[in-house]
Amino acid sequence: MNARMWVVACLAFGVLMGTSQAGAQATSAGYSAAGLYNLGNSYARAGKPGLAILNYERASLLAPGDPDIEANLRFVRSTARLPAESRNTIDRLARIGSPFTLSWIGVFGIAIIGAGAVAAQLSSRHRRLRVAALLVGLTMLASTICSGVALWPKLHSGVIIAASTPARVSPVPMGDSLFVLREGETVRISAEHEGFTFISTAAGRSGWVADSHLAPIVPRRPAN
Amino acid sequence: MSRKLRCIGLTIAVIWAGIFAAAPAMADDPLVYATIQPSQINLGESAHFTITNLGDGSNPITLPVVSGLKFEIVARTREIQIVNGTTLPSSSIVMRVTPQIAGIFTIPAVTPKASPLVLQVNAAPSGVPVPRVGAPPPPPPPPIFSGGSIPKGVHLSDDGSAYVRLSVPKRELFVGESVPVEIEVGMRSGFVSSLNGMPKLTGDDFALNSLSRQPERSEKLINGENFVLFTWRSVLAVIKPGSFALSAQAPLTVKIRTRPKRDSQLDDRFGDPFWQNFFGATIPKDIDVVSPPQEVKVLELPAAGRPADFHGAIGTFSITSDISPGKADAGDPMTLRMRITGSGSFDRVDSTMLDHLDQWKTYPPKSSFNTSDPIGFSGMKTFEQPVIASKAGMQTLPALSFSYFDPGSRKYETARSAPLTVSISPSQADSAATPSPAVAGAGSRDASGSENKYAAALRPDHPAAARLTASLIPLFLRPKFLAVPSFLAIALAAAWLGAKRRRADERPTANRRVASKTAKRVLAQLEAAARAGNAALFFDLARKALQRVYAERWQLSPEQITTAEIDARMGTNDDIRQLFAYADESKYSGRELQATRFARWLEIVREHLTGEGPA
Repeated sequence: MNARMWVVACLAFGVLMGTSQAGAQATSAGYSAAGLYNLGNSYARAGKPGLAILNYERASLLAPGDPDIEANLRFVRSTARLPAESRNTIDRLARIGSPFTLSWIGVFGIAIIGAGAVAAQLSSRHRRLRVAALLVGLTMLASTICSGVALWPKLHSGVIIAASTPARVSPVPMGDSLFVLREGETVRISAEHEGFTFISTAAGRSGWVADSHLAPIVPRRPAN
Repeated sequence: MSRKLRCIGLTIAVIWAGIFAAAPAMADDPLVYATIQPSQINLGESAHFTITNLGDGSNPITLPVVSGLKFEIVARTREIQIVNGTTLPSSSIVMRVTPQIAGIFTIPAVTPKASPLVLQVNAAPSGVPVPRVGAPPPPPPPPIFSGGSIPKGVHLSDDGSAYVRLSVPKRELFVGESVPVEIEVGMRSGFVSSLNGMPKLTGDDFALNSLSRQPERSEKLINGENFVLFTWRSVLAVIKPGSFALSAQAPLTVKIRTRPKRDSQLDDRFGDPFWQNFFGATIPKDIDVVSPPQEVKVLELPAAGRPADFHGAIGTFSITSDISPGKADAGDPMTLRMRITGSGSFDRVDSTMLDHLDQWKTYPPKSSFNTSDPIGFSGMKTFEQPVIASKAGMQTLPALSFSYFDPGSRKYETARSAPLTVSISPSQADSAATPSPAVAGAGSRDASGSENKYAAALRPDHPAAARLTASLIPLFLRPKFLAVPSFLAIALAAAWLGAKRRRADERPTANRRVASKTAKRVLAQLEAAARAGNAALFFDLARKALQRVYAERWQLSPEQITTAEIDARMGTNDDIRQLFAYADESKYSGRELQATRFARWLEIVREHLTGEGPA
């Protein structure tokens, strides 16, 4: 099998595996951006800002650039007197497409870079075309990496879903309270221990919170 | 006139009598004593605390330290007193005592044999009672001279100066049982200088727990004499079975007369220390006063009917329990409280009954004990245990039971609490992605029915999506999906490596192909020159061809390929050396060559151009 055939076979196999993955991802029961957004609206109307923010955050994982999700999330946060989240360049880059789309863009970026490299070994012709393909592939791969970097903290964050949640000095119910967290506050999850989660706030304070008062943005269990 | 003189003389005699009476009294008093003036002040005022040392000053003085009182030395004095013709040096330290809080303070004795002093500090205007600092409330004023005969159980010491009485409520006890006891020490006024320690039991068959440090003080008339009584209350712990004689003793310092008793009966009649000391000198003596022994029988606990969960608690107890809050979400901590009320050995009351609670996650309980008496014999012990329900729905905490031995009925008893029912809702964290019916149908009003501020400016709902995903983790972070780009990258890298290797393999062949073409062309030119008999052209072409061949082989420029370079790399090669020489010679001398010589040189050049020659 010559190199051209080998490249074609690789690409065909990658597409086949990716298609099977995409098929496996689509299920009859699970999450959708619209469903989570509507659920966030329901919780907001019911006067539960913590659960509303949680579901908006989850919806924004599936549809990062959705203006309705961003608007309602911003509104509930401001109404609950929670600080607005700041976004940097990487965050904005990561929101050009959904993680699902960006995943495939990254795969195709790798394919283009690899195919260009192989083609350069096979022939010295079309040098400009090869350079252009390399740049396109690198851009596609970089967009996927940006999305991963931007989403990584969110995958390890949680939302306080109960009002006046105490952060305790130790992971036991009778542990002394260090400070009180507001409902809807987003915290970083560092560790878990027997029904308690060690969290850190944006202000740098940390303590143990009961699992019943905190919901991770990415659920620990997949949807049934 | 004579009557007036007699009155004056009598007055002088009385004064001198007073002076003489004071002398032995001072001689027998402790060499170091302390006074406080006044003994009752308001907060913000100060009192003067004076320590006087009579003698040579060798007695050690310990400056008092009392929490809540500030002591400042304001003066030190030295003087010499002449008492009964005896010169006594004395020194005094005067301290200002400033209270920092209100209360009744006990200033410890400055020497072991002296008595403590009491300072009452009122927060309000004088006369309003204030609580005692660090001690139980002050006892009511003692009934003075409340009786005249010898009470039951009182056995005075040989000299009649003191007694110790031990009151035990029962004569039959069980091993491990705790019973309240009372120890009363009576000291005849003027005959006992000091109490030198806490009373204790004789022997080691029993143990006294938590003997109260502040005894109750009272005064009583016993057998016509004034006695000061100190009463301690404690709990007697029974250690081992058997029959024992139980008694208590107290260390005292009493005054012993130096004259025969019959000579001092007059002293006793006066009953006042002043007159007793006036009529006769006394010396201090340390003695132990012991209460009359009491026979106590200690029994083993019966083995029959002993419950499995019995852990040694003896007494009378009852148990109640509750849980709060009565309604919670799964995963929310709740507090289960178990209260054991009664009297007995509370130190053996533990929380093992809380160990086995199925369907509940439990944490170590913490306990607290509120006593209803100062000795901790009766009261209520409370265990608070955090519990977390692991399942939603109506959950029942089983009845808690506690077994103990009742010494009154002489059998084991088990106290039980009622089972507790608590409503557990599903955890909000678990159901966050699934709306409850109430939430799904919620309009712009919250759970309480009031208008909701969050519903004011929400953007409308989206149409439901047909495509669902099982996980919120981005596709590019799932291990299964990561296999795709990983495999693709590996495969493409393999293809790139393969292509590179193939290209490298193909390069020598191509080079050889090019070299072969060049060699053919050069050989054709050489043959043409040979046919034309042009030796100069022939050798010039041959030399240039060989220079190109070896220049490429040795990575040099063709001009660097000289006879010396060839000799250095290949050793002496006569053919090439001669060919290069002919090339020079024919170029400059015009030498001609025979046809057979051309054929030979052509063959030599062919060998070198096609690689068949020496490397």
